[in-house]
Amino acid sequence: MAIVRGADPADLTVRESRDLARSARGRYLRRWLPIGIGLLMAAAMVVMAAAAPLIAPLSPSAQFSDAVLKGPGVVERHLLGTDEFGRDILSRVIWGARVSLQIGLVSVLWSFVFGVPLGILAGVRGGTIETLIMRGADMLMAFPTLLLALIIVTALGGSLVNEVLAIGVALTPNFVRLARSLALTIREQDYILAARALGSGQLRVMARHVFPNALYALVVVGTLYIATAIRTEASLSFLGLGIPPPTPSWGNILSEGRQYIKCCPWITTFSGLAIMLAVLAFNLVGDALRDLLDPRLRGE
Amino acid sequence: MVQYVLRRVLIAVPMLLGAMSIVFFAMRVLPGNPCLAMMGDQATTEALADCTKNLGLSRPLAVQYADYIWRSVRFDFGNSFRQGYPVSEYIARMFPHTLVLVGASAIVAALIGIPIGIVSALKRRNPLIDYPLRIFALLGLSMPVFWFGILLLIVFSLRLDLFPLIGGGDLDGVLAMIRSGEAFTQPADFLAAVGDVLHHLALPALALGFTLAATVSRLSRSAMLEVISQDYIRTARAKGQGERAVVYKHALRNMMVPLLTIIGIFVAIALTGTVLTETVFTRPGLGKMLVDAIGARDYPLAQGAITVFTMIIIVVNLVVDMLYAVVDPRVTYR
Repeated sequence: MAIVRGADPADLTVRESRDLARSARGRYLRRWLPIGIGLLMAAAMVVMAAAAPLIAPLSPSAQFSDAVLKGPGVVERHLLGTDEFGRDILSRVIWGARVSLQIGLVSVLWSFVFGVPLGILAGVRGGTIETLIMRGADMLMAFPTLLLALIIVTALGGSLVNEVLAIGVALTPNFVRLARSLALTIREQDYILAARALGSGQLRVMARHVFPNALYALVVVGTLYIATAIRTEASLSFLGLGIPPPTPSWGNILSEGRQYIKCCPWITTFSGLAIMLAVLAFNLVGDALRDLLDPRLRGE
Repeated sequence: MVQYVLRRVLIAVPMLLGAMSIVFFAMRVLPGNPCLAMMGDQATTEALADCTKNLGLSRPLAVQYADYIWRSVRFDFGNSFRQGYPVSEYIARMFPHTLVLVGASAIVAALIGIPIGIVSALKRRNPLIDYPLRIFALLGLSMPVFWFGILLLIVFSLRLDLFPLIGGGDLDGVLAMIRSGEAFTQPADFLAAVGDVLHHLALPALALGFTLAATVSRLSRSAMLEVISQDYIRTARAKGQGERAVVYKHALRNMMVPLLTIIGIFVAIALTGTVLTETVFTRPGLGKMLVDAIGARDYPLAQGAITVFTMIIIVVNLVVDMLYAVVDPRVTYR
């Protein structure tokens, strides 16, 4: 509901059709540009991770003893410089995308697969089941994502699977909550009543009616959680609890480079930049999609 | 009101218990014997048996669990494996450092975040203002605090040599001077010590505060948007009040209510942030203590730190819930 302050009827008549067309185009651009940029960046990241063996100029673990701690471009074959073992930073950052994106995508998928059915069940069934599920979720929510993931990784040890598990578990209560709140609204809709009247059982209602109607909102939020998952993975690796070296991940490249910030800041700079761009890409997409979903917050 | 407070407390207690149980069992599912993990493969059988006995690991799990809960309630987390002295003592020493960091970064975050959020909500139809602000918020949200911290260190500590590279200053000394009354008898020394602490605090607070500012600006933006579409704002405008009066007298005050509820979220994010920030800046504090304890496999210390973190978050949320009811008279004390 817009309140036009100081509107003069004359303003409206003077407005030419050309202006209207331009403002429509502006609005269109403003809505789709962030999604476009975000999608492009995210797609570039995924391609980089998938095609790492083809794109990376050198092996991420090859050590060049003639080029230890060399700056970007000092030795021609090392575009972004080298680390303390003479390994190529560009190649390591490209290979590091694999770890970050795998963990980011798989852990969110994991929490989606576990959290959404529980949330829908809680929302549709109510009663004791709901109380049990929601109290459990509340308990996990008492921990910040990183802290919970940190506890789990400490207990299980750092590896690709354990990190996925840790971040997946840490994110699950968020999906439980969201799915439940969506289910609570959806179950009151007439089409659910109609489905029930036609004889659909509880399970069918949840799977065929509630879930598809909640899907869009869940996917939007899921995109934002990919960003959270990538950042959490990087944080764990930075704290030395992620994938153990020598497998490159953005977090552990950055963590190893910390000792050399005095002489060789490029190690931390480029690995950190990669983390930021990846997180930014998924934030951009998720954010723009959420604005589309919730017109009230749209900035127009 | 009393009933409401009691209800909230009664909800918080099982949550706290549940969270503590998660910590306890997570620490117990560790593959293998924690003693073996700590001492390494070289440990003798006698040393292992001794360690197992000291930790009470040979007792039934239920007994260990009850013991842990009962001791935690009294803030007794046992002794640190590495240092030997009580974990609670360690935590009490580190707590002020973390508190100061969270407080300072909260101030930075509020000073940057709230104005940006408000302006971005009010000027949302002006892309020249709204866009840069939203990009700022997105960047802050996407920038890992440990990376921003390292960039600050590279520029301000290493290149410009303006701030110290590591440490947190002599906060213990400052606190001791306050306790002993020296702060008033020797104000010059005291101010110098405080200045040193602030000097050490500046970069970490800026790093953490900046990343938190993004969250704060988004939350205050949506709080402002929520408020600005209310009927009383339309009424205020309808009776001819200027934009300034509408914003300051009507919108801003009401915006504070939803903003208050996010303090709980804020503290949770800030505490997580201290884990990373303190590690980057090699600052003493609860977060660094936790990371070091995990690295050294000092389980009592890690368990104590995590338990304290969880307690703080749950208690802050409880307090915020109550404040919410006090500030907003429309919240009924059910």
